[in-house]
Amino acid sequence: MNERALWRVVRAGLAVLTASVAVFPFVWMLRTSVAGADSVLVDGLAPVPSSFDLGNYTRAWRQADLGTAMLNGAIVTVSILTLQLLTCVPAAYAFAKLRFRGRGALYLVVLGCLLVPTQATALPLFLGVSSAGLADTLAALVAPFATSAFGIFLMRQHMLTIPDALLEAARADGLRTFSTLRRVVVPAAAPAIATFAVFSIFVHWNDYLWPLLVARDPALRTPPLALAIFQQAETGQDFGALAAGATIITVPIVLLFLLAQRRFVAGIAGGELPG
Amino acid sequence: MSVGLSERPVGTGASPARRGTGQGRIAAVLLAPAMLLITLFVILPGLLAFTAGLFRVDLTNGVRWTWSGVENFAAVLADPAVRQALVNTLVYCALTIVPSLVIGLGLALLANSFTRGRKVLQTLLFLPFTANLVAMAVVFRYIFDLRGGFANQALAVAGIGPVNFLGDTRYALPTVAAVGVWRGAALAMIMFLAGLTSVPTAVHEACAADGITRFTKLRLVILPLLRPTTVFVTVLTAIQAVQVFDTINVMTQGGPLGATETALTMTWRLGFAYYDLGQGAALSTLLLVVLVGAGVLRRGALTGGVR
Repeated sequence: MNERALWRVVRAGLAVLTASVAVFPFVWMLRTSVAGADSVLVDGLAPVPSSFDLGNYTRAWRQADLGTAMLNGAIVTVSILTLQLLTCVPAAYAFAKLRFRGRGALYLVVLGCLLVPTQATALPLFLGVSSAGLADTLAALVAPFATSAFGIFLMRQHMLTIPDALLEAARADGLRTFSTLRRVVVPAAAPAIATFAVFSIFVHWNDYLWPLLVARDPALRTPPLALAIFQQAETGQDFGALAAGATIITVPIVLLFLLAQRRFVAGIAGGELPG
Repeated sequence: MSVGLSERPVGTGASPARRGTGQGRIAAVLLAPAMLLITLFVILPGLLAFTAGLFRVDLTNGVRWTWSGVENFAAVLADPAVRQALVNTLVYCALTIVPSLVIGLGLALLANSFTRGRKVLQTLLFLPFTANLVAMAVVFRYIFDLRGGFANQALAVAGIGPVNFLGDTRYALPTVAAVGVWRGAALAMIMFLAGLTSVPTAVHEACAADGITRFTKLRLVILPLLRPTTVFVTVLTAIQAVQVFDTINVMTQGGPLGATETALTMTWRLGFAYYDLGQGAALSTLLLVVLVGAGVLRRGALTGGVR
């Protein structure tokens, strides 16, 4: 019984310790984002800074032009997700429920694409996009991700479980293919679609490499790109403003995670990873 | 959710009479947008990755391609900076993969041993993986700063002189690797936790009935059951490690003196700092071969029984 009590104490200690390490950078980010300039570089250990400066946020917002960046981030993320849903849902349905010649071969192509990481093809993709004269456009930020092999894969797996009888009934009711998709298939596959949506937003809001390659125009910067460039421009010593900028671009995505944690974890367990 | 390559799709085709009556045409319409985009943005760049390395690519005046054979590959492999980047990538992998797995497994066992508060602990421990990497890299650069950084101020309390974590060629790579472990362990934890929850309750009951100790149970029962998960997480972590980019680009820019340059940051530097896109493409071809190889392993692990 004594050993049991000891284990409980050790376990609780370990939990506090590990959770602290995991969360520390977030706490430190928040703390620094409100700290005055003198307390950023001097009393670097105090959990509560000796002076406060909310001007960090206004400086980050103005100098990194985070307003434009957040708007770009929202436009890019929402456009990508919309296009992905419009292209993936029908394709997944065709692979799951229609019979046609070449289905197996085409589906293998989709599975093969899951193996090609966007990081490794970023440079050739950039060459293609530049050759097409699309560099430095909003289209270049969105188009390469307008469909997703992972999305097709995830949704198809789920649509396989839709009973054929349900689709037969829809047909008997005189629904055409697109109405069937909208009124029967999408509601039935909603969990998979939601998982994919959370995932897609997460990946593309956080994406850094691709915007770094194609968005030279400051007006096109996405949140991570704007923050990274802000750091380089400042030669990185205005840590208060940098932490404030980091907080601004982190908050939306952490909120999304906290709201949709289950979906997010399901997406990762499904085998796909952001960046 | 079961995910498998070998799984056969279930057709609607109850009656053979309906087969082929218009389904082919409907399928073509439904598939066309996705397949067209996949061809354009995944397959073509993939093929381009294998061919662009064979050209000298000039971006100064529009885009000009000049055939150069294996020149780029030879130049890349002979370049000491590229070689150092490849060695650094291997060192980074060595420093991150195993620690992420071991710590991740430990965290998963810890979280799994709680009944009350488990959800909260799991969320907190997973937080590192969800954050925006650029934002976290900015924060870590401050934490490891030479003068005002938390790490050095903490060391100063212990009487240890300031360590130039990010500016010293000896410490820079281990420091960015530490950030990699901070994040990688969170990923491994969530995967192991999924594996642990799928252990049938009957197994736990049998262990309790036999009265075997916690440690024996872990070693002889739980760990063997987690094997497929372990293979899967290893490959996943390795893929992440090989293509590390965001943290390094923000924290050290590959410096000091190339000490943290990795395969992907080098690709970027060749292409966009030295404007040698052909060489950059050649290097990304090599990277692609490695990653697709790892991807095949990952699919293998996935079909190998991770649920």
